[in-house]
Amino acid sequence: MTGSALLENVRMSLRSIRANKVRAFLTALGVMIGTGAVIAMLALGAGAQRSVESSLESLGSNLLLLYSGQPKGGSLVRRSTTNIVPTITEADIVAIRAMDPELVASVAPESSASGQAKFGNASTTVTIVGTDVEYPTIRNIHPVMGEFFLPTDVESRKAVVVLGAQLYDDFFGGMGDPVGQKVRLNGLSYRVAGLMERKGNSTTDLSVFIPISTYQRYIIGAKDFALVNIQAGNTDRMREAQSAIEATLLRLHKMPSLEVADFYVANQLDLLDTLQGVAGTFTLLLGGIAAISLIVGGIGIMNIMLVSVTERTREIGVRMALGAKTNDIIAQFMTEAIILSVGGGLIGVALGVGSSYAFSIWGGLASTVEPMSVVLSFGFSLVIGLVFGGYPAYRASQLDPIEALRYE
Amino acid sequence: MIEVSGLSRHYTMGPTTVKAVDDVSFTIQSGEFVAIVGPSGSGKTSLMNILGCLDSPSAGSYRLAGDETSKLKKDQLAEIRSRRIGFVFQSFNLLPRESALENVELPMIYQGVSRKNRRERALAMLQKVGLDGREGHLPSELSGGQRQRVAIARALAGVPSILLADEPTGALDTKTGVEIMELFHILHRDGATLILVTHDPKVARQAHRVIQVEDGKILADVAASEWVP
Repeated sequence: MTGSALLENVRMSLRSIRANKVRAFLTALGVMIGTGAVIAMLALGAGAQRSVESSLESLGSNLLLLYSGQPKGGSLVRRSTTNIVPTITEADIVAIRAMDPELVASVAPESSASGQAKFGNASTTVTIVGTDVEYPTIRNIHPVMGEFFLPTDVESRKAVVVLGAQLYDDFFGGMGDPVGQKVRLNGLSYRVAGLMERKGNSTTDLSVFIPISTYQRYIIGAKDFALVNIQAGNTDRMREAQSAIEATLLRLHKMPSLEVADFYVANQLDLLDTLQGVAGTFTLLLGGIAAISLIVGGIGIMNIMLVSVTERTREIGVRMALGAKTNDIIAQFMTEAIILSVGGGLIGVALGVGSSYAFSIWGGLASTVEPMSVVLSFGFSLVIGLVFGGYPAYRASQLDPIEALRYE
Repeated sequence: MIEVSGLSRHYTMGPTTVKAVDDVSFTIQSGEFVAIVGPSGSGKTSLMNILGCLDSPSAGSYRLAGDETSKLKKDQLAEIRSRRIGFVFQSFNLLPRESALENVELPMIYQGVSRKNRRERALAMLQKVGLDGREGHLPSELSGGQRQRVAIARALAGVPSILLADEPTGALDTKTGVEIMELFHILHRDGATLILVTHDPKVARQAHRVIQVEDGKILADVAASEWVP
């Protein structure tokens, strides 16, 4: 087919579309919604993936978590270490600290328990976290006022506390400098040393941090730890660090294998994999549903094109009598179907991009439009036009000119 | 121009075979004005479909401008229609959404004529049938006679070897019908080969030669002046 014939087909198709404006719009609407939905859903999926990544990054980098007990239901992340029987001993910590700094950069054991915090007449339930001075570095959470407690505070079991952001709101109305104020934890008075930045997750923001030594003396008498935060020295050697820690602890605990051990190590990379897997499935699911709607849109196009072919049987007969070949007829109807689907696709792209921005601005949902998803869904709408326009066009081309000319 | 020999077109309808065209032979020279006449059901429409390369014969030979067409495939027949045949229909069969000019351009699109040449030739054809000034009108804005003129211009636009008109005056009033017949006479005088298919003896008599068909066979093939219906 020559370029001029193609142009002629486009002109004729536009004319036929203009002659049935409402019908053409409704036909293209299916593809519009489908394309828009694919883009918006993929954007939501990508946004979810991004926020998973960034919230994992906010946990700290190169993070290994050594937990007491066994992972529950295959989940690598435990929401809270409260009320877990601690099994990790001081000797374990010493052994881990002694490892190659390329593998283990810093270590902060952590125990926690629910407790009562009081300031003046205000009182609330908090998670009291006993930990070491390296905690802020490893978990990537830093004081915004005052400072985290110091090695001397740990050594001399000082009654100092670093507040979580939520507690600052509850006790101080989110205003003023809390440093130097006295807060009571389980009845004992602590001097506020600092205020932690807001992390946006309730577990961290509702915690108060005190030296591990103080915790062991005043909160819970046990010498062992429920959780140890470990920062690996090198991202590339995180799995190696994990194996080394596991081997060391198996030896110290005299345990035959990890399956029966009273501890386990969660690796940030594994968490990332797991969560990305979840987000990926989520994206696939949403995108799949949206793609189905795009296919339904395509079926709409096929339906209308079949009606159009029937309505224009006589016209097809005339064109054949005047010398139109099989391919001329196919090209004419395909052009019309493709214009409908591509036109719908273009508007759908605009709808999809627009609505994913609307999601993030007004809906508070993370959504990221990836250029690939635009190309993908637009390409898909083109393919839909080709596939679903193909059959009606073929039907048209196979009409018998004599029958078609006689059609009323 | 046209050589038909032993031509048959049989349709099988259940147990019976209908011989719409049955062992027909004739030749038509270039520049002739021939009427194929017969009542409805005589087989003249089947014969016209074969002459117009819309259909293939069951048996026999049909040579158009020297080329055997009886064994051609669908697209090859379309090519012959495009290059050699101009159709004029009883019900005009103009495309309702296209202007007169665009309707005339249509066969040239399938011939692959460039846009500029198409336009020029279409304008010339419309002038030839006396419709200059009506190029932009839609068929619905034209009278029956004018529509048939557009259809004739369209049939001529592809520069066909033969012009095949199927009851061209059938949908027109007498006066307009006469005008259209006058146009055919002018075209004939200018050298066109015309085949007119009609059931109307008065129309048939205006041709120079009459082929009378009945029950799929040729009943008479004589000069119009000697024809007795």
